[in-house]
Amino acid sequence: MKSFVSVLAGALVAGLLSTAAYAEKLVLYTSQPNEDAQATVDAFQAVNPGIEVEWVREGTTKIMAKLMAEIEAGNPVADVLLIADTVTMQRLKEAGHLADYKSPEAANFDAALYDADGAYYSTKMITTGIVYNTSAAMKPAGWQDLAKSGAKGLVTMPSPLTSGAALIHAQTLTGIDGLGWDYYKALAANGATAAGGNGGVLKAVATGEKAYGMLVDFMAIREKAKGARVEFVFPAEGVSAVTEPVGILKTAKNLDAAKKFVDFLLSEEGQKAAVKMGYIPARNGVALPEGYPARETIKVLPVNAAEAVKNSDADLKTFSGIFGTN
Amino acid sequence: MLERSDARSRSRWLRFPFQGRTIGVSKVRAGASPAAEPRWLVPFVFACLLLLCLLPLFSLAKAGFAGLVSGRSIGVLTEPATFAAIRNTLITATGGMVVSVVIGALFAFSVALTDVRGKLMLSFAFMLPMMIPPQVTALAWVEMTGPASPLLKTLGIAPPLGSPQPLYSLAGISLLFGVQHAPLVFLALKAGLSAAPRDGVEAARLAGATPFRVFRDIVAPLSLPGLIAGAAIAFVSGVGNFGIPAILGIPAGIEVLPTLIYTRLASFGAGTFGEIALLSSLIALIAAAGLILQQRALAGRDYRIIGISGANAAFSLGRFRVVVELALVAILFLVLVAPLSALVASSLVPAYGVPLNWQTVSLRAYEEILFRQAMTLKALGNSMFLATGAALGLLAVSVPAAYLMTRRKGWLADTLGILIEIPYALPGIVLAVAFILTFAAALPLLNVSLYGTIWIILIAYFSSFLAVSLKPVMSAFLQMDPSLEEAARLSGAGFLQRMRDVILPLVAPAAGAAIILVFLIAANELTVSALLWSAGTQTLGVAIFNLDDSGSSDLAAALSVLVVVMVVALMAALEALARYLPEGVLPWRN
Repeated sequence: MKSFVSVLAGALVAGLLSTAAYAEKLVLYTSQPNEDAQATVDAFQAVNPGIEVEWVREGTTKIMAKLMAEIEAGNPVADVLLIADTVTMQRLKEAGHLADYKSPEAANFDAALYDADGAYYSTKMITTGIVYNTSAAMKPAGWQDLAKSGAKGLVTMPSPLTSGAALIHAQTLTGIDGLGWDYYKALAANGATAAGGNGGVLKAVATGEKAYGMLVDFMAIREKAKGARVEFVFPAEGVSAVTEPVGILKTAKNLDAAKKFVDFLLSEEGQKAAVKMGYIPARNGVALPEGYPARETIKVLPVNAAEAVKNSDADLKTFSGIFGTN
Repeated sequence: MLERSDARSRSRWLRFPFQGRTIGVSKVRAGASPAAEPRWLVPFVFACLLLLCLLPLFSLAKAGFAGLVSGRSIGVLTEPATFAAIRNTLITATGGMVVSVVIGALFAFSVALTDVRGKLMLSFAFMLPMMIPPQVTALAWVEMTGPASPLLKTLGIAPPLGSPQPLYSLAGISLLFGVQHAPLVFLALKAGLSAAPRDGVEAARLAGATPFRVFRDIVAPLSLPGLIAGAAIAFVSGVGNFGIPAILGIPAGIEVLPTLIYTRLASFGAGTFGEIALLSSLIALIAAAGLILQQRALAGRDYRIIGISGANAAFSLGRFRVVVELALVAILFLVLVAPLSALVASSLVPAYGVPLNWQTVSLRAYEEILFRQAMTLKALGNSMFLATGAALGLLAVSVPAAYLMTRRKGWLADTLGILIEIPYALPGIVLAVAFILTFAAALPLLNVSLYGTIWIILIAYFSSFLAVSLKPVMSAFLQMDPSLEEAARLSGAGFLQRMRDVILPLVAPAAGAAIILVFLIAANELTVSALLWSAGTQTLGVAIFNLDDSGSSDLAAALSVLVVVMVVALMAALEALARYLPEGVLPWRN
């Protein structure tokens, strides 16, 4: 048995060492779901065959915690970040962690979709609306429906403490007249729960633990296409949106590969790859995936990015105060 | 036997603390006999513990102190959330300990002492829940009991839409702690029971003692140390468990200390390191309190046994045999078969909430895991490497440490014991932060940083599982009569020769158990690697957790099923090799 184990260990060590033999490398930190992260990397490598990509996936706040711990330790591993929201990117930029890179592809994007200095670029639009289980009694049409007695104890939402999109969502809704923090207090009083990320919300609603949830569009629409008994609603008041920006770290060890990655995501092929996964593309002139209404009919609620950056900590505390510590 | 008492009194004299040691050694030298222990032993063990236990704790303490001094983190100690987390931690860890002891003791007594049939299969199956990662256990149970449960739907008793999930509660967390940690009690207890003197039991039976009296007067006292040790390790494991409360507690707003730390860390901000350092010191206090209770309970007892060990079928159950067998099988069905079936079912459905039947069954999840996701095989390779490295490497520390701790009673052994237990008791997430803080900067002289490499995870595993490796080795040493080694020593055998010819053969079964325990726990580890993993160093536990977290629990279930298949295959391979292995290496055999 001893020799068996040592042979096994030897083989494993050899296997680990052999992976170091690639010419060009890229380390990507992303908050995309695993399947999408792998699909993105596969599409990128199809265009750039010489580059080996190592990718790490976690929720935006967790990937940021990992990155900040690494920066604190003086050894950030990532070259490129592909995370949920520009607010987090803006914070990183202000802290001086992002490299400025002017991508030639930016010409095909609205100026509002990227940083003027080139610190980060939006790659797609992800809206947060309402998902419901098709066997639920009430068919919600707007955000207020979730605070009504018909949804008592049946609502769940992702926690801003875990999800970048959820934080922007809360900051968007609380900035709207007629909703505000009072809306979240009403939700809490109605027995709504807020925990974990979007994946947990999808699961709770699809399996019937909860009837209604706040959820990012692509997860609900994709899961419905796979046969799950869920329906997605763009609420009457409008949806919040994040734009999944990509940015290069100043400390990137593989700068050329990182630039190629940014260019690819913004390119037509890159955008079509995102559409294939079910995302709303950010680039002008690329069609929406199946299952979505026309782009003009989706009403996106505004959010003040500068305010959002400034108030993030206070907003998280307020949210925690309403929904408990999680 | 005459020589034995002589040798023992001599060894007591030699073990006189401190100055006594030097005197003893010089006296023995004068008598041209080898030293009781080589000079490098104490420095070696202390160097290892310094690196694995003290250094990360020191880094944490520094961060906690900095947080206190700057005033940014002190608020965490007075928050209501912290008090709630302490209360929930104590309730669930205690509840889990009670469940573990009940189930674990039932199995250990039945298998070790009675004439139930199919002992090997029972033990084999009972060991499995421990190898299933806690977060997978929790997921499988949720699949089994929720409103969408295929099992309950088939039975027509599925709760209506929006029904609360009963496991999302303190009782649910306690129950799964109990299921997860019962094999630890089982192992600890069975090791002691197997060493129970059969001749003693037989003598009592021949003298007319009833089975109950034999149990009360002979078996129960002898099984007490194993029971207390098992209960303590179950309690401490519950205090540090992250996977189960993360999945069952967070959706219900029930925080325990490890999940509170995790959520604090996931919303990283100024003062976070200080806060989690302070919170983890609370966990350390709770764990230390549990261990001190254990040591007090065991104080003043001497459990060395002389005579033929082994108590095969000491009790005949008669007509109750079938009842006991049915009860054991029913428990196994509930803790193993049903959740694993739910897991398999959820790996085969195309989407959440879709009922499983011949029209909907899909292998897409397996296809994605095996042929599309590049990270699966990498995670598998990483976990195998880490588990093998930790299991074998730790013996080099745990055997000398256990030797020191048994040969030298008193404050030195107590200190070593507590030092070793604390990293194990700390939640993995805190240990991970401690190791980031300790090893992030480039190593002196070598000028390489371990951070972001697989080696930092390996070292953290060494720290985290030292206690796991030590426990079986330690109990082997505790039950070994020191006269054997003394005899070898007086006959002129040096320390290394005594190790090779006397000590290692005697502790080999326990060492084998330690290797397997560490391997199985490390292969499915989640919490330590959850923060230390980086590009290319993800482990199986991280891969499963991450898949579920990203909303792909079908993929998570598929990977979990593959892990379970692999573990069972590994166990079956060892079982096939059993007759070539020393007696007692495989924990489910005797």
